[in-house]
Amino acid sequence: MTPLVQINHINKIYGNRKDVIEAVKDISLPVYEGETLGLVGESGSGKSTLGKLLIGLEAPTSGEITYRDKVLWKKKRFMRPRPGEIQTVFQDPQSSLDPRLRVKQIIFEPLSALPLKERKEKGSIERLHALVKRVGLKVEHLDRYPHEFSGGQRQRIAIARALITGPSFIVLDEPTSALDVSVQAQVLNLLKELKQENQLTFLFISHNMSVIRYMCDRIAVMYKGGLVEIDETKNVLNHPKHDYTKMLLSSMLKVN
Amino acid sequence: MLDIKNLSIEFNDLNGKVKALRNINFHIEQGEIVGVVGESGSGKSVTALSILGLLDENAHISNGSITYHDQNLLEMNPKDIQSLRGKKIGMVFQEPMTALHPTMKIGQQLMKVIRQHKKVNKKEADRFAIEALKDVHIHHPEKVAKQYPFELSGGMRQRVVIALAMSSPPELLLADEPTTALDVTVQSEILNLMKELNQKRNTSILLITHDLGVVSQLCDRTIVMYAGQIVETGLTFDVLHSPKHPYTKALLNSLPDLKKQDQPLEAIEGEVPDLRNPPVGCPFNSRCKHTMPVCHEHDPKLEICEGNHYVACWLRRDKV
Repeated sequence: MTPLVQINHINKIYGNRKDVIEAVKDISLPVYEGETLGLVGESGSGKSTLGKLLIGLEAPTSGEITYRDKVLWKKKRFMRPRPGEIQTVFQDPQSSLDPRLRVKQIIFEPLSALPLKERKEKGSIERLHALVKRVGLKVEHLDRYPHEFSGGQRQRIAIARALITGPSFIVLDEPTSALDVSVQAQVLNLLKELKQENQLTFLFISHNMSVIRYMCDRIAVMYKGGLVEIDETKNVLNHPKHDYTKMLLSSMLKVN
Repeated sequence: MLDIKNLSIEFNDLNGKVKALRNINFHIEQGEIVGVVGESGSGKSVTALSILGLLDENAHISNGSITYHDQNLLEMNPKDIQSLRGKKIGMVFQEPMTALHPTMKIGQQLMKVIRQHKKVNKKEADRFAIEALKDVHIHHPEKVAKQYPFELSGGMRQRVVIALAMSSPPELLLADEPTTALDVTVQSEILNLMKELNQKRNTSILLITHDLGVVSQLCDRTIVMYAGQIVETGLTFDVLHSPKHPYTKALLNSLPDLKKQDQPLEAIEGEVPDLRNPPVGCPFNSRCKHTMPVCHEHDPKLEICEGNHYVACWLRRDKV
């Protein structure tokens, strides 16, 4: 398998000389084409920071990230492969949707980064309607504002916004943590189906081990900025090697 | 010890009345841990807040009673409720950062609460404060007492909040999503701590949560709420292992915990009904797989199905 994304010895340090936080410490890992890689760890472990380095929101302090063998960061500049190739869905759909835009404008917004020809192609009304229906919303929702929707519906809008550009790689940062269990199941099912239909690659960031177990092919465990374990899901769950992974698994609350 | 009867609460909203609670009945006995599970908007937090008289001003209790040791809390004057609040009935909130005073040292906050409820001088109160921190397994209580909330981690802050709530010590502890803001490894420590306090001091606990895992770990009895009503209640083991209400069953099936990766999750389609206009009949009728004509006409009452297991569902009843 070829890695779609290759992370090599990445470090991210926040702060200046006196007050330094090493958010990401010397992490190297591949994300293979077509897989869902789960990134798990407690708050402050650096999992969201790593996600931000991949979508161009934060520049690494040192190290290299390649996307389809092309370097993603040159010095402090994000060399995006193709506009809209890498997309993201954030945790809190309350704050990640502009409250003053209508749903249609929200979903179309990423297209403004695309060249004119592609923008016209991807921004057709037919495509928008098909996409909106595919994520489980209705065409008449397009003229409404985010506050008129429930948490689950808002997350569907965020997913449609990520898909409009036809991405290959999506970073999902805790996409269901703000949702109720019954709605979480709807969104997880939708994400799985969309991944199949569009041959997507996911980086799925979550602190919820049972969600990660259900969604991911491989699991990477982060602890205090470092990568402590990475392996196929069943190996991590059945034969955890690192003490932190063992602790994480033993604190999972089982209903039965 | 605590008995809630026919409790109904409405909120006045710009667009009308939100019927947040409709005809709630349950009780808590001494030393018992009762879990209330439900999704957002099910009315679980409103239930806890109503016990302590902490509801917002736009809330209106339209019916029912909350009896605590033969006193109806809803008819008590504010001064008398204040004497119960924190002393006999303690409360732990979800977000420990906002529940603590940000510019007051931990020790001072504890001393303030202790001196509110006990007639002690500063020196004794200080000693009690250190004791309280020790009880929640804080290793360097003297050091923590001199720190501010922002200097502590989320788990430590929640321990402090529990120490505050337990300092009087109360007979009943209301805990509203006490571990939701915490990491999983910290969550299990806090749940163990609550269990220990319950066993050591025989404190009753009413635990509000959306997490069925938390309930299964901690609670003797479980109450399942949906759209402002109780749909099922019984011993936690019975409710989780042989659920009777279609909502409880669906909720358990929507968890990714036991599913194989190639099985889709059984999501509950649709959304929680708008409580400004609660549906006629069973509140779950629009999302239920087993709907019958009667479900759209009449509201099922909570009725016994076996032992201490109660369910509100027409499937369990033959006649209207």
